Amino acid sequence: MKNDFINIALPKGRLGDNVYEMFSMAGYRCPELENPGRKLVFENHDSGIRYFWVKPSDVAIYVEKGAADIGVAGKDILLEYRPDIYELLDVGLGKCRMAVAAPKNFRDDPRKTLRVATKFPNVAKMHYSKFGRDIEIIKLNGSIELAPILGLSDVIVDIVETGATLRQNNLEVYETLFEISARLIANKSSYRFKGEKIKQIQDGLAAVKGAKND
Amino acid sequence: MKTISQDGLTGRLCSLYERSGYRRYKMSKFEEYDLYARNKDFLVSENVLTFTDLDGRLMALKPDVTLSIIKNTREERGLEKVYYHENVYRASGGTLGFREIAQTGLECIGDVDEYCVCEVLSLAARSLLEISPDCELDISHLGILCELLDRAGLSTGSKTSAIRLMGEKNLGELERLLSDEGIGVEISTKILCIARLDCEAKEASLRLRELLKGVVSDESLELFCDTCDFLHSEFPNTVKVDFSTVGDLNYYSGIFFKGYVNGVASGVLSGGQYNGLMRNLKKASRAIGFALYLDLLEPLFEAQDDFDADILLIYSGDVSAAEIYGAAKKLAGDGLSVCVMRECPQNMKFREVYRVSTGGEAVREK
Repeated sequence: MKNDFINIALPKGRLGDNVYEMFSMAGYRCPELENPGRKLVFENHDSGIRYFWVKPSDVAIYVEKGAADIGVAGKDILLEYRPDIYELLDVGLGKCRMAVAAPKNFRDDPRKTLRVATKFPNVAKMHYSKFGRDIEIIKLNGSIELAPILGLSDVIVDIVETGATLRQNNLEVYETLFEISARLIANKSSYRFKGEKIKQIQDGLAAVKGAKND
Repeated sequence: MKTISQDGLTGRLCSLYERSGYRRYKMSKFEEYDLYARNKDFLVSENVLTFTDLDGRLMALKPDVTLSIIKNTREERGLEKVYYHENVYRASGGTLGFREIAQTGLECIGDVDEYCVCEVLSLAARSLLEISPDCELDISHLGILCELLDRAGLSTGSKTSAIRLMGEKNLGELERLLSDEGIGVEISTKILCIARLDCEAKEASLRLRELLKGVVSDESLELFCDTCDFLHSEFPNTVKVDFSTVGDLNYYSGIFFKGYVNGVASGVLSGGQYNGLMRNLKKASRAIGFALYLDLLEPLFEAQDDFDADILLIYSGDVSAAEIYGAAKKLAGDGLSVCVMRECPQNMKFREVYRVSTGGEAVREK
């Protein structure tokens, strides 16, 4: 692959579509990507950029390892995996929050080990270690809300967007850990050697974000 | 991407350090585990390979070289300048196991003065240039950074967060943190300007003097700016000042630096003034050094040849050993590699195949 291109990892799904729209508005459109077919990599030779879709949780790895120069990843992923990257801009998309949720009327009994089901074990560990709370982490890969309903855990640590899924399952937010949104991230070495172009993209996205907010 | 030879690079680096008066420091592969247990935060990874020695002591395969060098430093010797080329044993990031990693670096320990600092930084820049001209050495000063954040009145916890955010170039969250902490506009602006600073060393020294005169101690500021000016005069295209270059404050207290080479995804060189680590190890002297992570340079090392040998020479049972030897010697005369076998081996590739028959003549096969 040509090295002078800027390789951009986009998260698959709705967030990725919105992120691409921002790139497109910032002047980095890629007609090839709009009619994808079976291709995996999409290039715009004129603007010297190359896009590829990856699983949202993999964006940070692609960027950290230099397969992508920049990418857009959720703050939840960045706090869970702590990749060695630059976090250049909050693009203001994919807003939600990381929260502890529990069955309605849940009471935390400090005499017992708290069982926490989550997809984000490091985030959960970091949160409870601040209070020295003894916890047991149950790492799950999906349907986290099921865990307290079936008695697998006391609480869950998960992303909450509207809270509708929680309400439907008789759960509620017990405490909010932090707000989440999508971030423009960059590989540290790429920032050195392709810095000018990366800064242009960063400024372009910041301008689009500013215009959206106005 | 230009490739380099690993052996050639190691030789050139060792020669560079020796020509600057650094002695080779050769050490045992083992060290008492206690040394690492007491300084876990200094290590890249907490995982250490341990074993019990015959006398019952818990030993470790060295995960780091610097700690052992400091431990064996005799302060009465004044100034010690040493370099090393050793293997260390670490659980490496992406792999699910330990790896043996080649590491080269140097340490300057004792009465470290301004000249020593400039010398070590120059050797770091020259080490990167030995790898590729397309490289960058980024420097910052953690002492100045801490002084500035203390001046702003940040608590210890917030100071750590501010430094982490600077390391991420996360200016949005840094601005929010300063505002949440109620830091005044004037000093917040200075902190954000420093966090944004990412430019040539000469320009940086001008900006730093302009921004921080009277805010941090004159001595640290002037020493750092003089160092920047010196580095700019010697390495105008290689050295930059970038305050996102940060390290652990428990160990590093002054200049901190990282080196990058185009074509390698992460920093390949890391170092700084580790006076904090010296204090933790009950040493009164100062120190500066760096390590070059040779394993990270693999993408730049010469690609393996597409062929296992230039020539495959096949012989049959009726040809004498002397005839086969003579034919192989003749073919190898042009500086080619010759592999002699009874038949063509599987999974091996050769540029040309020859067959030697009775009489010792080798005939090229189509």
